Amino acid sequence: HGHLRKPAKGEELKISFILKDGTSKTYEVAEGDTILDIAQGHNLDMEGACGGSCACSTCHVIVDPDYYDALQEPEDDENDMLDLAYGLTETSRLGCQVKMSKDIDGIRVALPQMTRNVNNKDFS
Amino acid sequence: MLAKRHVSIIGSGPSGFYTAYRLLRKSRIPLHVQIWEKLPVPFGLSRYGVAPDHPEVKNCEETFESCAKMYIGGKEKSFEFIGGVEVGKDVALNQLIRASDAVVFSYGCSGDKRLGIPGESQTKGVFTSREFVNWYNGYFDSALDDKFSSFPWEKVKRVGIIGNGNVALDIARVLLSNKIDSLWSGTDISTVALDSLRQCPVEEVKLIGRRDFLHSKFTNKELREMWQLEEYGAKGFIDARYFQPERYAGNDLDRAMKRRLEMCSEYLSPFDQRTKKNYKKVRPGNELNCTWELDYLKTPLKITPNGDGTIRSLTLCENVITPENQLIPQSQTVEYDMDLLITSLGYNGRPLNGFDSLEIGFDRDHIANRQGRVLQENGNTVIDKLYASGWIRHGPHGVIASTMSDAFDVADIVLEDLESQPVRKEPVPAGDLLALSRIPHTTWFDWERINEKEIHEGTLRGKNRSKLLTLQDVDALLKQAPTAT
Ligand SMILES: Cc1cc2nc3c(=O)[nH]c(=O)nc-3n(C[C@H](O)[C@H](O)[C@H](O)COP(=O)(O)OP(=O)(O)OC[C@H]3O[C@@H](n4cnc5c(N)ncnc54)[C@H](O)[C@@H]3O)c2cc1C
Ligand code: FES
Repeated sequence: HGHLRKPAKGEELKISFILKDGTSKTYEVAEGDTILDIAQGHNLDMEGACGGSCACSTCHVIVDPDYYDALQEPEDDENDMLDLAYGLTETSRLGCQVKMSKDIDGIRVALPQMTRNVNNKDFS
Repeated sequence: MLAKRHVSIIGSGPSGFYTAYRLLRKSRIPLHVQIWEKLPVPFGLSRYGVAPDHPEVKNCEETFESCAKMYIGGKEKSFEFIGGVEVGKDVALNQLIRASDAVVFSYGCSGDKRLGIPGESQTKGVFTSREFVNWYNGYFDSALDDKFSSFPWEKVKRVGIIGNGNVALDIARVLLSNKIDSLWSGTDISTVALDSLRQCPVEEVKLIGRRDFLHSKFTNKELREMWQLEEYGAKGFIDARYFQPERYAGNDLDRAMKRRLEMCSEYLSPFDQRTKKNYKKVRPGNELNCTWELDYLKTPLKITPNGDGTIRSLTLCENVITPENQLIPQSQTVEYDMDLLITSLGYNGRPLNGFDSLEIGFDRDHIANRQGRVLQENGNTVIDKLYASGWIRHGPHGVIASTMSDAFDVADIVLEDLESQPVRKEPVPAGDLLALSRIPHTTWFDWERINEKEIHEGTLRGKNRSKLLTLQDVDALLKQAPTAT
């Protein structure tokens, strides 16, 4: 986990995370790193249970609609896992499937409430 | 240093381990976390449930391993794995409770749900999904069970699977595709099982559900994998009576179901008539030459054996489902000839020995609880110090991701309680501590040796792991001097 490459001088891309408590963190990152790599490299609360293999949905993020369309469309595999993500939205993506690129420099993503409310009826 | 609080977790599957991981990461007070596991090896259904051809799902084990490594022998927060000890049998539950500040039940669901129809228990060639999955995953003693090794696999052409959840699809996939080397040879499937399965001249696998298509419980990922087997010549069908996408349009369908309808409609169309490019990437092949079918609205009534006691056929009645979702059995019956029947009705949670005297509530297939706090039999009173997480908290369903969030929620509640309570005053009875420390068990270090051995043996055979199949093999390995491996 957390092997982030250092961006080359002048090639830094920016990404901001809106954390669960509402605060925001901005990082300068290299092209090609996934959102999961970045979150784990900075010790944010993102689990990545399947290690970025598109097989668990624990790296779910909600993308700022202003940036969503600039992303390449999700593949079927990713959509199949998003089906299971808790708190799915129109602009949800899996952090392990989205790589940083110039097209999305400045992107903002929010970490959804990862845990369900244990009271939730569908559970007990 | 403050006295460490002591948390005992029962079960080392994803829920037990994610509970431990969360407790250790988030606790602000000194903590010792012990996981008690009935097998000498950890990870529960990640190791013995998840299909061998889904190794990426088992990557959660890496998180568990690094958590164990990080906290074993820790000063403020520490972790210990106690394997090969069944709580309720090798150690009494009340003894464990007396020695702990909190006990978390994470022991999953290891019973079977059954049909309860004539012929089910005595006919050869009728297995529950749990038995079958345990067998191909090399679960101790199932792996070499006579029930499987003496079965005439070379006669298995027609297979029935009752149930339509992901476990049913895992089983169908194994049965249909085991002859494709690229899919199975490199996995940690038990070679004993794989050799038997490869003798089956499987022609047809039927997945039979009581309700209709809209009530199918599998996820799209697993269903897509089934359709994709057309690449090897395993072709899927759904009778037009049971699949009517135009009719469902009026229903209030969720995203997953809409995508499922599209997927099935596309794959049911001839290759050249499919409309979306994703369904036209790989042409159907013919290596396997077998079929699978999703069959609906039928309830099994009885199993009829051949003269030699092996299964000959399954009799079912047809059902009608009302707009109010009521299931009405009809008088018409159908009889399917088959050579193998797997009942995939779900795993079943059971109380532990000792629940009765402690008056712990149990609700059908899970421990009665409120937000993970265990309730008494009366269903209202919370029992001090006791918690539940994972499948045994809410019943046998949910993928690892949901098991994880469940475990995190419960761990947060345990911490909330521990941090707000004063440190316990009365000491643990010395007799209890002595008794507990004397129980023979495997340690995390023992597991590391087993793990290393399995991976090593696997590498020699071109597999990612070759599991030890008996408890005797485990004992023999651990008796060797550690440097021998
Ligand atoms: C066949 C199958 C396939 C699956 N495939 C997938 C998949 O592809 N992807 C996915 O995300 N999820 C999958 N799942 C779901 C996943 O396995 C569960 O979400 C998860 O394992 C539940 O975790 P748990 O810890 O509650 O239970 P378990 O994993 O069952 O762990 C319970 C542990 O407790 C131990 N134990 C039991 N009794 C005692 C006792 N008395 N004392 C001490 N220890 C005890 C058991 O040995 C076991 O190790 C699958 C499940 C099954 C059954
Ligand atoms: S890390 Fe598992 S789906 Fe992204």
